[in-house]
Amino acid sequence: MHGMARLLVREGCGDVEDFKVRFYTNFIKDDRYMYLVKGLGNTLAITFLAVLLGIALGFLVAIIRSTYDKTGKGRILNLICKIYLTVIRGTPMMVQLMIMCYVVFGKYNMNKLIVATLAFGINSGAYVAEIVRSGIMSIDPGQLEAGRSLGFSYPQTMWYIIMPQAFKNVLPALANEFIVLLKETSVCGYIGMMDLTRGGDIIRSRTYEAFMPLIAVAIIYLIMVVVLSGLVGKLERRLRTSER
Amino acid sequence: MSGKGEILFQIDNLCKAFGSNLVLDHISTEIKSGEVVVIVGPSGSGKSTFLRSLNLLEMPTSGTITFEGMNITDKKTDINKYRQKIGMVFQHFNLFPHKTILENLTLAPIKLLNKPKEEAEKEARALLQRVGLEEKENAYPAQLSGGQKQRIAIVRSLAMHPEVMLFDEPTSALDPEMVGEVLNVMGDLAKEGMTMVIVTHEMGFAREVGTRMLFIDEGVIKEESNPKDFFENPSHPRLQEFLSKII
Repeated sequence: MHGMARLLVREGCGDVEDFKVRFYTNFIKDDRYMYLVKGLGNTLAITFLAVLLGIALGFLVAIIRSTYDKTGKGRILNLICKIYLTVIRGTPMMVQLMIMCYVVFGKYNMNKLIVATLAFGINSGAYVAEIVRSGIMSIDPGQLEAGRSLGFSYPQTMWYIIMPQAFKNVLPALANEFIVLLKETSVCGYIGMMDLTRGGDIIRSRTYEAFMPLIAVAIIYLIMVVVLSGLVGKLERRLRTSER
Repeated sequence: MSGKGEILFQIDNLCKAFGSNLVLDHISTEIKSGEVVVIVGPSGSGKSTFLRSLNLLEMPTSGTITFEGMNITDKKTDINKYRQKIGMVFQHFNLFPHKTILENLTLAPIKLLNKPKEEAEKEARALLQRVGLEEKENAYPAQLSGGQKQRIAIVRSLAMHPEVMLFDEPTSALDPEMVGEVLNVMGDLAKEGMTMVIVTHEMGFAREVGTRMLFIDEGVIKEESNPKDFFENPSHPRLQEFLSKII
């Protein structure tokens, strides 16, 4: 038994040595890990800015749409929103990103980070809009009536009474949308931006090895998603205090 | 503030149609300051629609409602300002579930009357004490019973110092043993001289507290009288039939 174990350890040592060498060539040599660090920075920047833009656009569209549904006001605005939702949700993200880069800003030498933020933010806004709208529509109409009967205007009732409740209800779906967005930014490479995925791919092209850089990229995404989900869970529990 | 006995609401030929369905059919009446008007009628008769059109939760299709001489059905009227003077209590309470009881009471006075927070809270606590719920100020609506919720809903409206209180079947969603606590609060309010318009099925309460009864059926006021005559000598056959079924 002892001999066997020793043999395994010795063979294992060989694997460990091999792993060390591969780790060295893929990440340490020529400071290659910097591709991942810089890529991660870009991924986070695009995601963060696109989330902000997506929330702003999404809430705006959701409010216009649900106001139309509830009161029949703003027919033209509602129509514009509907076209926006149809186009954005009916075409692939990657195509939208390339159109933004090569068609909309094709003649200008626009900062790629801005191009990507716009493309992803506008895309995310469409999904956020429908999530938030479903949240607004899920609130009992009695809440709107109670607010209005106290003398609150429609916008005030929305702001103080409807939106806080709607936001709480849709938080899980909203968080899910942002996790999807974080992962979707991995198509940034198509407009020549170096995000996390592209960073890993560059390493692969230098070292001719796929396993180490791509698994590293996958692990980094996974960690970010797990951390994000955990934070949202915490926030959700805090918002739930009024229900018990 | 109007003096007692002055006309508050003047309602002329009020009609409300939902599509081709005429729910209110040329209703005319007036409501004086200090009156407790109780509206009864079969379901679908339009009594709730009538009540809700008094604070424009339902927009009249035609006809006019004037309040203290001001035509509130006029498009130029500031509806929000007008509604601050009209308290409304709903069948399903409609408390704000994301706010504590104290916040439910202070939200409108702080935001709409620009009251300082301390003053609004002081007033809210006095109101809570009045309905015996001062210990619940930090609770959320979900932690309260139906009767407690409705008492909170009443004082939430009172926090705006309304001139009139409208009640839309305030006890219909309550367990029978909780009806009394809500009616007591409403009875006290009537004694203090509050002008009230109440849609209810509580006939005992109507008889005791009401100063005038309205029987609405098929969108028309079919009988209008004082409670004593209303219950003892109903003249309209439809009302006789209605009363025979429920009492």
